[in-house]
Parts: sequence; structure tokens; C-alpha cells
Amino acid sequence: MTKILFTGLVAGAVMASAAFAKDHPGREYMEKNGYKGPETCEVCHPGKAKEFLSTVHWTHASKVDNVENTDPAREYGMKNRIYTMCNGNDIVNNLKEIPKTPDAKGTKFSGCNTCHPGNHLSDVGSAGPEAEAAIDCLVCHSREYDHSKRKPFKDDQGRVVLGQDRSVKAALAIAKPTVKNCMTCHEAAGGGVLVKRGFAFTKENDVHAAKGMVCVDCHKAKNHKIPTGFDPNNWAHDGVRVACADCHTETPHKDAEYNRHTARIACQTCHVTRTGGSFAKDFTTWEKLSNGYYEPTTLRKDANETVPVYAWYDKTVANRPDFIGPKGSRSDKASRIYPFKVFQGKGFFDRKTGELLAMDFAPPMSNGDTLAGVASAAKILGIKQYDPVPGWQTVLFGSNHLVTKKNALTCNNCHAPNGVLRFKDLGYSDDEVKRLTSPELYLQKMAEKQREEW
Amino acid sequence: MRKAIAASAAVIMLSIGAIAGAAEVKMVGTVQKIEMQGGAATVTLKDTKSGNEVKVTVKDDLTLDKFKDKRIVDGDEVRVKYDDGDGVVTIFRKTAGC
Ligand code: HEC
Ligand code: HEC
Ligand code: HEC
Ligand code: HEC
Ligand code: HEC
Ligand code: HEC
Ligand code: HEC
Ligand code: HEC
Repeated sequence: MTKILFTGLVAGAVMASAAFAKDHPGREYMEKNGYKGPETCEVCHPGKAKEFLSTVHWTHASKVDNVENTDPAREYGMKNRIYTMCNGNDIVNNLKEIPKTPDAKGTKFSGCNTCHPGNHLSDVGSAGPEAEAAIDCLVCHSREYDHSKRKPFKDDQGRVVLGQDRSVKAALAIAKPTVKNCMTCHEAAGGGVLVKRGFAFTKENDVHAAKGMVCVDCHKAKNHKIPTGFDPNNWAHDGVRVACADCHTETPHKDAEYNRHTARIACQTCHVTRTGGSFAKDFTTWEKLSNGYYEPTTLRKDANETVPVYAWYDKTVANRPDFIGPKGSRSDKASRIYPFKVFQGKGFFDRKTGELLAMDFAPPMSNGDTLAGVASAAKILGIKQYDPVPGWQTVLFGSNHLVTKKNALTCNNCHAPNGVLRFKDLGYSDDEVKRLTSPELYLQKMAEKQREEW
Repeated sequence: MRKAIAASAAVIMLSIGAIAGAAEVKMVGTVQKIEMQGGAATVTLKDTKSGNEVKVTVKDDLTLDKFKDKRIVDGDEVRVKYDDGDGVVTIFRKTAGC
């Protein structure tokens, strides 16, 4: 049964890539009439631009109902959240030119909202006809996008504009989004290539990539609502979700022993055994780069170079100044053990409220003065009184890609005394730990497998 | 003249590489020139620390693709790891702050 589902899907994937080769039916029209932005697409795809404006990709925020200490009436996302992976948000780090230092090489523009498919004049969350006309449809839909055009510059009125490739050449290469299209922004989330979670979606690192699957084969969008999961650090969503079991069911294994485990252990725990990217950053002290500008002191690892931590997760989120991550427990039957990428970040907290303070990166980027960055952000946000003290925050990120079968965790990876799970911390009693770390559980089974293999 | 020196330096490096086992070099540099040749590209970088020019070879498809669609262009600052024996790159990424 599951087999049939798989072949159907794979056939689907192959057919989709075959369809890429076939021309987009709008091609001839655009060859004749050129490409004037979304209005051209709207000739045949009416309503798409307006529809897009209400998605997280445009608003960078949505209401959230699974995160503690949040207001159900407000929207949250990159637009306004503050955490220590990127110690600011779209508001305080609105795209701008960074003041030059004497030894700076070249001009530098910086801002969180560069990862937005608008032109900055129509920015995060904007609405109306002007916003509709500003959408960069091609950044997600063209296979011939010239990225050198997607750069910030100053227009003749001195406004900072984010460029787009609106060439006819790019418009003639319309297709369903490829991995590259999505990675325009997702690859460098968190302050650099593969920094946030070492998200290298390549055939070496992910079984699905190896089968030729692309992002939208799983993140199937309808009306531009892109489904997401329950990463405790990705709050904003379009109201649609994707999960491993959507395609595989909860019992995908030939071996019943693995299927028995899925009630308490998430698929990712056994199948996403590695993570990567930055594991610690200090926003209170910035390092000077050889180009004359500064950046937060960042310890980084490659994709696949670090191991996750494991915790019970019931898909609701703890949100405190010192910790953002999963809630859940062994006794709660809705919780499962999940893997998380652990990150620790240092920032300034307000002594009075205990809350993390945001930082405008422009001052420290040009001269390393991080308190000036806090002062500037406070001013932008209208915060008059605060008393900054340095402190650390631990952040746990979901770990949902880099899926492996070959290196999936097997019996001894968990049940040997040096297994990856800390049973005691996960709520098991001493007696239970003794039983759970005894070869009694798996010896016979693994011995049988060994005999088969040799 | 400079070329000749560079060439002999490369030869010496190669032989050292052969004896000692090639070492991995880490560098932050600015892209000076990208020359595509079929399945590979030769990239000239200026080491931001020393100011020296270094030529490296890029063979992985992901990075080559970034040259093709101009995600990485002349003037970009990159973090590079390469083998000082054959100059082949293992990591080639744009530096970027938060
Ligand atoms: C002259 C009409 C016309 C124009 C102009 C046009 N399209 Fe299409 N497009 C179509 C038709 C017809 C289809 C196939 C039926 C469908 O899926 O709606 C299609 C399909 C698509 C698909 C689905 C492709 C796939 O492989 O699943 C996308 C994405 C798309 N168009 C995007 C765009 C974008 C972006 C623009 C503007 C740059 C645009 N189109 C301009 C007629 C047009
Ligand atoms: C122009 C930059 C950009 C591009 C291109 C882009 N994303 Fe995103 N994406 C973002 C940003 C920024 C967020 C986070 C917004 C927030 O949470 O406030 C995000 C969030 C998401 C999320 C979680 C929230 C949600 O909308 O469900 C998913 C899933 C996602 N993107 C998938 C994709 C896929 C698949 C593609 C390719 C079709 C893609 N993205 C292309 C910038 C981009
Ligand atoms: C290179 C593109 C890019 C830039 C630049 C960027 N982000 Fe993001 N950010 C993303 C993407 C993509 C996501 C969602 C996917 C993920 O978390 O992996 C995201 C998610 C977030 C989230 C979680 C949002 C939510 O819905 O809960 C926060 C907070 C955030 N970013 C803060 C920042 C801050 C602050 C900056 C600027 C200092 C910044 N980001 C710059 C791409 C970017
Ligand atoms: C953030 C990336 C992103 C941007 C920007 C974007 N799209 Fe899409 N678009 C998608 C995704 C993802 C799908 C669904 C692909 C799938 O699942 O087959 C899609 C599907 C489509 C389709 C075919 C399905 C449908 O809903 O009719 C059309 C047409 C389309 N987009 C047009 C546009 C137009 C026009 C714009 C600009 C106004 C635009 N898109 C901007 C990501 C994007
Ligand atoms: C094999 C299916 C699959 C493919 C392919 C895939 N994803 Fe996902 N992705 C998921 C699932 C499942 C989740 C959520 C799991 C959960 O939270 O339970 C997810 C979560 C996410 C999230 C939320 C943050 C996080 O990491 O948990 C983002 C953003 C995202 N995917 C983007 C992408 C992009 C971009 C690509 C292509 C480079 C991609 N995905 C390819 C299945 C897939
Ligand atoms: C949109 C559907 C979809 C989603 C969502 C999805 N997968 Fe898959 N997965 C597939 C397909 C299709 C294959 C290829 C199956 C084949 O070739 O037999 C596959 C292959 C696999 C394989 C390798 C199977 C083999 O025999 O080689 C594993 C393991 C796997 N997926 C685990 C996961 C995990 C874990 C998640 C969630 C993070 C997930 N998948 C999400 C569709 C999906
Ligand atoms: C306790 C660990 C564990 C859990 C939990 C787990 N898997 Fe697996 N899975 C494995 C191992 C190990 C293999 C490889 C078996 C082999 O090679 O004989 C595997 C194989 C697979 C395969 C290939 C089919 C097969 O039987 O070999 C798929 C597909 C798969 N897993 C998907 C999932 C999904 C989806 C989930 C969550 C519903 C999940 N797995 C949960 C350990 C696990
Ligand atoms: C990802 C880690 C992990 C892997 C891999 C794993 N287990 Fe487990 N196993 C657990 C956990 C956690 C429990 C306890 C679940 C609970 O609380 O119900 C458990 C429970 C069990 C139990 C029930 C023990 C008892 O007395 O309650 C048996 C038997 C068992 N595992 C055998 C195996 C065998 C055989 C394999 C290999 C095929 C395997 N496990 C692979 C984590 C794992």
C-alpha cells in the first residue's frame, strides 16, 4: 500500500521535471509583449498578486497559538521577533546603507528584509496596487534569474531599493519553484550560508534530494500558502502544515520494531541524526573583518558537523528570555522525542524587565559599538528606559531535513549505555534506564541481521 | 615574470603536497575573476589578510551554478577552503553578517 503511494509520488516528481522541459504556456505572449512585472502574469493568472500579499512570505508574520507568552491578537515573525540567532528584526534592521568607516572597502547595505520578494519601497506587509506591482514573481518562478540584479541600491531620490531581475529572458523561463529558487533566501537564513541549521539540501545529505525531489514536492503550496511544520523557532505560518507521515504513514517500516517506536519517537529522531551551522554567537562583541566592517562573533560548523539534542515535544513552545524551544514531557502522550539543533546566543537584556533587547546592526557593523546598536533599536521601537546587561539565551531549532536512511539510528545507537538519548533526563527511572540500556532488548535481533549480512 | 614565479611556487607546493599529504588552506578573499571552463571554473581571489592573489579551482556543481546565475560575482567576499596541492576548493561561500 505504502509502496504504491511512493511510486505514485516518484512518478509525479519525474513527470513534473519532464514538464519543466515543456514550455510555459505564457511564453509566446511574453515574447511578444515583454514582461512588465506581476501585471503581465495577471493577464492569465488573475488574482495571484493580491493573494500573495497575505502570505507569510510577504508579511513575515502571522498569528500564533502554540507559543507561550505571546498575545493571540498580535502577529509574530521575522518582522518583529527578537531572538539571539539574529538579534533584531525587520523593523530595527530595516534595509539601509551602513555608515562607512575610514578603512571600509566598498559600500555596504544590510537589513533583514533583503529576504523579502518586494522591492523595499513596497516592503514587508505592505498592501495595495503598488505592493502588488512590486512582487518579484520571478525570484521563485524563473529558472534563468540573474541574481546580480537582486542587490540593494539608492535610486535618484536617495531611497534604498532592492533590485529585481525583470528581464524578458528570466520571464521566459517560468516553472514551478526549484530548490535553487527557494534557497535564494533559505540557504543563508541566520546570517550566512548554512548558518542557522546547516540546511544543505543536496543528494549527499538528504535521501529526498537524492531521489530528485524538490522543496515544493513536500511543501506543496495552494494559493501560495506554503505548508510548514512545528519548528519551535519558526512561528509564522500560513495555516497549513506538512509532516513526514503525510506521505509515509506512521508505520512505514518493513521491520515492525521500528514501527512500534514511532508512537513515542518522531521520525526525525532516527532519520535526521546530524545538524550543523552556528552553535554560538556573541552579539555583545563584534569582530572586525578584513573588509573593514564588523560582524557578531560567530562559531560555525558545516552542515552535518554537529549532533542534535533530544527532547520531548508536544508542538507547543516555551518562550522565555533565557530559552526558546520545545515543551512536552514523557507523561504527556501527545509528546514525542524530537531532535533539535542547539544554539546559544549572547545579547543584551534589560535588567528591569529581563527581556532581550533588540539591536540595530548599522552602528556595530561600522564601528563595533554594540551598545550604540541597542540604543538605536530602542529609539526606533520607542523604548525610553532600559538598562542593558549581557546574558545568554539557548535556542532549539527544529531539525527536519538532512534525512538519512543509511545512517538512521538503530537499536544500539539508543539502547547501548553510550547511546544518543539521555534516558534519565528524558524522565525514565533508574530501573527503566537499566532495562533500556541492556542488550537484552536487541541482541537477538541484531545478531540475526548480522548473520543475514555476512 | 610574476607568472613564472607563481608557476614555480605552484610546482614546489605540488611536490610538498605529494610528500607531506596535501593540506587544507582556509582563507577569506575577494573574488577578482571567474573563468568558466566546462565542468570547472578557475577563480582568482585576493586574500584579504595578505593581499596576495591566489588561483583556485571550483568543481562542485552547486558553486558552479552560483557563478552561472551570478549569485557569486566579482567583488564578492568569500570564505574558502581549498587543498593547497591541487588548488581544488572544498568550501566556497559568501561571507555575510546577520
Ligand atoms: C498568456 C498567458 C500566460 C501568461 C502571461 C503567464 N502564464 Fe503562467 N501559465 C499559463 C497557462 C495557460 C498555464 C498552465 C495552466 C495553469 O496551471 O494555470 C500556466 C502555468 C503557470 C505555472 C505552473 C507551472 C507548472 O509547471 O506547474 C506557473 C508557476 C506560472 N504559470 C507562472 C506564471 C508567472 C510567474 C507569469 C508571469 C511572469 C506567468 N505565469 C504568465 C499562462 C500564462
Ligand atoms: C525572497 C526570500 C524567500 C524565498 C525566495 C523563499 N522564502 Fe521561504 N521564507 C522566507 C522568510 C524570510 C521566511 C520567514 C518569515 C517569517 O517567519 O517571518 C520564510 C518562511 C518559510 C517557511 C515557513 C513559514 C511558512 O510560510 O510556512 C517555509 C515552509 C518556506 N519559507 C518555504 C519556502 C519554499 C518552499 C520556497 C520556494 C518555493 C521559499 N520558501 C522561498 C524567505 C523566502
Ligand atoms: C538570507 C535571508 C534572510 C535574512 C537576511 C534574514 N532572515 Fe530571518 N529568516 C529567513 C528564513 C528563510 C526564515 C525561516 C526559515 C528558517 O527559520 O530556517 C527566517 C526566520 C526568522 C525568524 C523566525 C520567524 C518566525 O516566524 O518565528 C526570525 C526571528 C528571524 N528570521 C530574524 C531575522 C533577523 C533579526 C534578521 C536580520 C538581522 C534576519 N532574520 C535576516 C531568512 C533570512
Ligand atoms: C516565495 C516564492 C513565490 C513567489 C514570490 C511567487 N510564487 Fe507563485 N508559486 C510558489 C509556489 C511554492 C507555488 C506552488 C508550486 C507547486 O506546489 O506546484 C506557486 C504556484 C504558482 C502558480 C501555479 C499554481 C496556481 O496557484 O495557480 C502560479 C500561476 C503562480 N505561482 C504565479 C505567481 C505570480 C504571478 C507571482 C507574483 C505575483 C508569484 N507566483 C510569486 C511560490 C512563489
Ligand atoms: C521530503 C519532504 C521535504 C522536502 C523535500 C523539503 N522539506 Fe522542508 N520540511 C519538511 C517537513 C516534514 C517539515 C516540518 C516537520 C515538522 O516540523 O514536523 C519541514 C520544515 C521546513 C521549514 C520550517 C523550518 C524547519 O526547518 O523545520 C522550512 C523553512 C522548510 N521546511 C523549507 C524547505 C526548503 C526551502 C526546502 C528545499 C530546499 C525543503 N524544505 C524541502 C519536509 C520537506
Ligand atoms: C511529500 C511526501 C514526502 C514527505 C512529506 C516526506 N517524504 Fe520521505 N520520501 C518520499 C518519497 C517519494 C521517497 C522516495 C521513496 C522511494 O524511492 O521508494 C521518500 C524516501 C524516504 C526515505 C528513504 C526510503 C528508502 O527506502 O530509501 C526515508 C528514510 C524518508 N523518506 C523519511 C522521511 C522523513 C523522516 C520525512 C519527514 C522529515 C519524510 N520522509 C517526508 C516522500 C515524502
Ligand atoms: C527508532 C528509530 C526509527 C524511527 C522512530 C523511524 N525510523 Fe524509519 N527507519 C529506521 C531505520 C534504522 C531504517 C533503516 C532500516 C534498514 O535499513 O533496514 C528505517 C527505514 C525507513 C524507511 C525505508 C523503509 C524500510 O523499511 O527500510 C522509511 C521510508 C522510513 N524509515 C521512514 C520513517 C518515517 C516516516 C518515520 C516516522 C513515522 C520513521 N521512519 C521513524 C529507524 C527509524
Ligand atoms: C532513537 C532511539 C531508539 C532507537 C534507535 C531504538 N529504540 Fe527502542 N526505545 C527507545 C525509547 C526512548 C524507548 C522507550 C519508549 C517508551 O517510553 O515507551 C524504547 C523502548 C524499547 C523497547 C521496550 C522496552 C521496555 O521494556 O519498555 C524495546 C523492546 C526496544 N525499545 C527495542 C528496540 C530495538 C530492538 C531497536 C532496534 C530495532 C530499538 N529499540 C531502537 C529508543 C530507541
